Parts: sequence; C-alpha cells; structure tokens
Amino acid sequence: MSEIKEISPNNLVLFGLIGGLIGVYLSPTLPIAGALGAICAVIWGADAVRRVAKYGLGTGVPSIGQIALGMGIIAAMFGLAIMKSQPLAGPVVAVITASVIGFVIGWFAQNVIKMKIPVMIRCMTEIAASGAIIILGYSAAVAGNYDFVNNLIPLVFDNGVILFIFWVGAVAMLHPFNACLGPDERQKRMLYLAGSTGASTMAIVGLAAIMTLGASGAITMLLGIVLWLIFYKKFWDEVYNDAASVVGTGLIPKTEA
Amino acid sequence: MVLDLTMSMAILALLGALATIAGCLEDLESDVGSQSNPNSQVQLAPQMGLLHRIFNKAISGEPISNGMSAVTGGTVAAVLLNAKFYPLTAIVIGSFIAAILYGIYATTAYAGRVASQSRFKQPLYMDIMRYTTPSIIGHNFIVNFCLVTIAYIQYAVLGYPFSIPFLALIWGISVGAIGSSVGDVHYGGEREFQNREFGCGLNTALSGRIVRKAESGLRNSIDNVWFCAKFGGPATGIGLGLTVFFSSWPTTIWGYTWTAMGVGVIILVVMIIMNRLVEINVKKAYGPYKEDKEEKEAGAVAHTH
Amino acid sequence: MVFLDPQTLIDILLIGLSGTLICLAVHFIPVGGAPAAMAQATGIGTGTVELAAGSGLVGLITSSYMYAYEPNASMPLVMAAGALGAAVMLASTMLAGGLIYAYGVAVPFASAQVKKDPITGERQDIYVSKGTQGQGIPTICFVSGVVGSALGGAGGGLIYFVLMQYYSPLISTSAAAVAGVFTMGVFYVNSVIPSYGVGGTIEGVHDPKFRRVVPKDVFTSIVVSMLCGIVAILIAGGMS
Repeated sequence: MSEIKEISPNNLVLFGLIGGLIGVYLSPTLPIAGALGAICAVIWGADAVRRVAKYGLGTGVPSIGQIALGMGIIAAMFGLAIMKSQPLAGPVVAVITASVIGFVIGWFAQNVIKMKIPVMIRCMTEIAASGAIIILGYSAAVAGNYDFVNNLIPLVFDNGVILFIFWVGAVAMLHPFNACLGPDERQKRMLYLAGSTGASTMAIVGLAAIMTLGASGAITMLLGIVLWLIFYKKFWDEVYNDAASVVGTGLIPKTEA
Repeated sequence: MVLDLTMSMAILALLGALATIAGCLEDLESDVGSQSNPNSQVQLAPQMGLLHRIFNKAISGEPISNGMSAVTGGTVAAVLLNAKFYPLTAIVIGSFIAAILYGIYATTAYAGRVASQSRFKQPLYMDIMRYTTPSIIGHNFIVNFCLVTIAYIQYAVLGYPFSIPFLALIWGISVGAIGSSVGDVHYGGEREFQNREFGCGLNTALSGRIVRKAESGLRNSIDNVWFCAKFGGPATGIGLGLTVFFSSWPTTIWGYTWTAMGVGVIILVVMIIMNRLVEINVKKAYGPYKEDKEEKEAGAVAHTH
Repeated sequence: MVFLDPQTLIDILLIGLSGTLICLAVHFIPVGGAPAAMAQATGIGTGTVELAAGSGLVGLITSSYMYAYEPNASMPLVMAAGALGAAVMLASTMLAGGLIYAYGVAVPFASAQVKKDPITGERQDIYVSKGTQGQGIPTICFVSGVVGSALGGAGGGLIYFVLMQYYSPLISTSAAAVAGVFTMGVFYVNSVIPSYGVGGTIEGVHDPKFRRVVPKDVFTSIVVSMLCGIVAILIAGGMS
C-alpha cells in the first residue's frame, strides 16, 4: 500500500501559494483568475487538512475547516484594509497575517492545550494561509478586484456573498478528506475531489459575479461547471479503481463475521 | 418594529411554522442519507465484518452541510432578487440549485467513504446511490426553501440588518445543530440498534453492530426515514420552531426592554422545569438499571472505558 | 491610529473578553459527541463547535436586530438580547432532545461524572446503563447548558456591539455586514480552540474535566481574541 506515490506537501504548498497569489493578482484584469487561484488554494488546503486530521482531532475533520476560514477571513480583511495605500501588498500581507494567526493557534494547540500532534503547527499555519487565499480569490472573482473598501465591501460584503465564500469555501476545503476518510484513503482521489469541490464553488461564485460584474461572471460560471465535470469524472474514475467492487445492485457479500 | 402588534405576531407565527417544517425535514434528510454522528456506526460496521446497504453521507456535521445548502440557496436567491425575479421564484430556484449542489456532495461522500473501505470488501451499490440521492435532494430542497423564506421575511419584511445569505446561513447552522442533537438520537440510539431490547441502553461494545435487515429484505436508508419520521423528525421540528418563536416573542411583545429579557428568563425556567418533569417521569417509569442486573443484553460484555 | 488611547485599549480588552465568553460557553454546554447520539454518553448528541456556534449565532441575530432598532440600547441590553436568543435555542434543543431520549430510546437521564445531581440531589450512578458513560440530559447538564449558551450569546453580542461602534461612522450601511462577518470569524476560532481542549465531549460545569481544561483554554482564547481585537481595530483604520 505504501508504494503509491504521493505528491509531497512542499510541492502542494508551492502550488497553492503561488497559484493562488497569481490568481488573486491577475483578478483586476481577469476576475476569473481569482477563482482559479482559489481552487489551487482549496487543493492545497485539503491536503493540509488531510495531513493533520489523520491524527484524529477529537472533534472530527470539519472543525479544522471552520477554524481555517475563520482565521482566513479575519486575516484577509486585515491584510487588505491595512494596506490601503499600497494595494499591491494587500494579499501578501493577508496571507502572512493568516500564517501568523495560524501559527499562534497551532502553537497554543500544541503547547498549551497539548494536543500532541507533531504536524499541528505547520498544518495550522498552512490551513490558515490557504483559507485566506480562498477568501481572497473567490471574493476577487466576485468583486473584480481586491480593493477592500471600494470593491469588496459594496460588492461582496453588503449582499452577503462573502458568507457563501466563507462557508462553502470551508466545506470545499474540509469535504475532500472528510468524504474520503477511511483506512484505504488515497491522496490522488482526495485531490481530485478537492478540485471538484473547488470548481463547484467557482460555478456558484460565477453566478454571483453575474450580479456584480455582468457578463464576465457567466464565463466564470461556465468554466467552473466544465472544471467541475472534469474533476468529478476523474474522482469517479478513481472510485471505480479503488472501491472493493462497484455493483449495480445485489445482496450483501458473505464475510466471516 | 415597523409593523403593528397583530401583524408582527402573524409574521412570527409564520416564521415558527416554517421553522418547524424545516427542522422536521432536515432531520429526515439526515436520516435518509445517514449523516453526522449516527453515521459513525454505519462507517464502523464494515470494519466489524458487517457489510450493509446503507447510504454513507459524510458531507460533514449537519450544521456545516445545512449551513452550506442554506447559504447557497440564499446567495442564489439574492442574485435572482437583484435581477428583479419574483421573490417566490427566486427562493424556489435558489433552493433548488442549492439542493442539487448538496446532492453532488452527497454522492462524492458516499463514493469516497466506500472506496476508502475497500479492505473490508464493502461494495459500492449504485442502485442505493441512484434512488437515495434524489430523496436527499428532495428533502434538502424543502429545508432550503423554508430557511431562505425565513431569511427573506426577516430581511425584507422585518428589516434585519444582515443580508439574506447571512440570515440563511445562521438558520442553516441552527437547524443542523438542532437536527443532529435531537432527531439523530432517534436514528442512532434506536433505529440502528432496533434489534436490542427497547430501553436497554446501548453498551459501547455494540458499536458498529447495526441492524442490516429490514421488515422485508435488506435495510436501506429509505427504510430509516420511514421510521424516524414518526418521532425524530417532528421532535426536531418542534425544537427549531420553539427556537425561532421564543427567541423573538418576548421582544415582539414587550419591545427592547429589560422586561422582555425577564420574560425570556421565565421561558427558560419553564423549559428547565419541563425537562425536570420528563426526567422524573422516565426515572419513575423505567427505574434504575442496577436493580435488574440480569437483563440479558444479547451476551454483551461490559466494556471498560 | 492611536494605540495607547485608553478607549481603544478598553475595546481590545472587551473583544478579548467576548472571545473568552464564547470559549467558556463551550465548556458549559453538555456535549456528548457521537456517543451521545447513540445514548452512550451524557449530553447533547452533537459536536461542541457547532452547538456553541449555532446557539451563539442565533444570539447574534437577536442582538443585531436590537442594535439596529434601538439605537440607544446599552451594551448590557445588547448582550442580554444575545444571551436570550442563544439560551432559548439551546434550551429548546435540549428539551426536544430530552423527549427523544425519554420516549424514543427509553433511557433514564443520568450523568456518569457525578454520583448525585448537584441541583436535584438525585442518584445518578444507578441509572447509568451498562457499558455507557451515562445518557440523556439531567437537570444539572440542562442548567449548565442554558448558562453556557447565554454566555456565548452575550459574547457574540458584545463583539458585535464593540465593532459596530467602530465601523458605523466609517462605512455607515455596510457596517453590519462587516461586523457580522468578523464576529462569525471570531466565533469559530473561539469555539474550535476549546473543543480541542475538551477533546470533543464535556458534561458541563460539574464535569471534572471542566476544572482541568478551563484555565488553559481560557488563556489561549484570551490571547487569540485580543489578537483578533487588535486586528479588528486596525481594519477600522484602513476604512477611513
């Protein structure tokens, strides 16, 4: 079983971080890039969740996705608001702030609450950072920019779309590992599922962007649906591969118990 | 606050009724897909060598998954309202899209969890997938519809400061929290272990040994809804209905004053007393366990923790 | 951006306090996690995070509504409104849940952590069924839960109140959205941390675990919430 090659965490960190930030920075010219960047971050975040949740957190997988986006949203708002005079620095500051909050919480979880999970600090930091990129990416795809006061507040916060991004972004990140939980969990299948949840979120984000940006939102939505179909199909291919058997119907097979 | 007392009481009653329906259907939806805590038993069963034909909808805890569908419904409805759709049309379309998204998540959870149990030889039954998923979508649609309607009424009629998706999200989280606290117990504590003596308590040694046969044939998740609809679902509905009604009733009548807060405290005290009465009643009716030690628990060994 | 202004410091402390209230709330609410859903543990059969958040956010709805329509509402009144909404939510949940334990699963309520219920004085241990950690929601758990959710709701109302004082003058109509979202973020951070501390289950104030984990969880929560408070006030600086 251990022969299966897995993508190393470091590569996924780079993929999520660089892909995500490129997406966010391209969003003023091409809003759709924000959503694509967010998908990169979802895939990264899902892998970070996978690494830490394997240890068993005592409260189930979902809580970590919630705390991720809780930290992410606070950091994203902070990073963008504080860097008002230097808007280009905003997303980077947001990601750094998220990492700091994540590090602090991870440190406390490890050393004060004593959870005894060796990867806790690292994963908490990663999860918070990817949460911040998810928020930034999808928000930028809806608002067409990452200017906090002029674009995000009227176009994302006022109409409540931020809540969708906050919540469904969290589910997109935590669902892949949670849905594949089990002794025969495989990274590849989980990553395809992460792509699929990220893309389906992108489709609805595109729908919301139709309201705020007009026609360009429709492209985001359609591309989101196409990407979702691709990843969903890939996920099912893996399921057919990995499952003990896939049957149309039938009785319960006999086992020794 | 903008309405007169009769009208605001009428609206409050409507909200309470919608919440009751939403709560009931939410619990039934979680039973048809087998979600949340009782699902841990479904998840565990193959490990004990007990393969089954029950759906495994591990989207996440109910509050998160219902929050997700409610906020999606609210967002889509807000987009459509912005495009000058009729409110009812917007809410229906929004709820439907959210329910479809929810159904997609449900399929991935079932397929993913079963594929991750391949070493226990649990097969992935495609017929279960095909006829349980539409039922999940249907139940979830009604939940979304009720919750987004509550959010719409609170936003458009009562003038709450939050947007429709925000209110829908909060009610989605609440309905999930209540559903998993109330109705799931009926599914997890009774339906999954229905072959044990009623009221015997559930020894932890029995974990994973769920009932796999139905009244006729093999049990599937649709059979579970049929059972839970008799008690678990309605009780959940009452829970959310009470929440929505009594969280605003005092302030609707007495305004934003300390009097209203005092009335709220009285409501809480009444609820504490009611719970105490139930406690006394069941303790008297069932009696302590220690006295009937020879209760045969199907050979279950006392499990030390 | 004057950090040493006493008012600012007080507000940061208030946000820290409200985060701490939310953190405390999680410890008061009797949550049995997955075992409780099978009537194998005392308490409510769901996760700590969502129950605290679910009740606290209902409190946020009630307190925000009060803040919107009673402009001269005092801070204690907004907090009380939040506490009321949250406590009603949790009490309804426990009441309906108790009905299921009593008549759907047919188990008497019993706590496994104490021999006698501190409020009613009734024996608990003989009612615990074999091989379980108690079941149902005895009176002490019920009262503890009501108190806890009230704390959580009050905490949520308090953050919202403090943030609205900051954001309303800067971004008049959007303030509720931003303050609400921020409150939610703080809520989740502060309800997940103690959940890790209690390991997913706690019976309430009488549980020996309560005394063991509260200090370190509260300490963590104060630090993290004050960090959030500083961040929140810096955000306001970016709006002007």
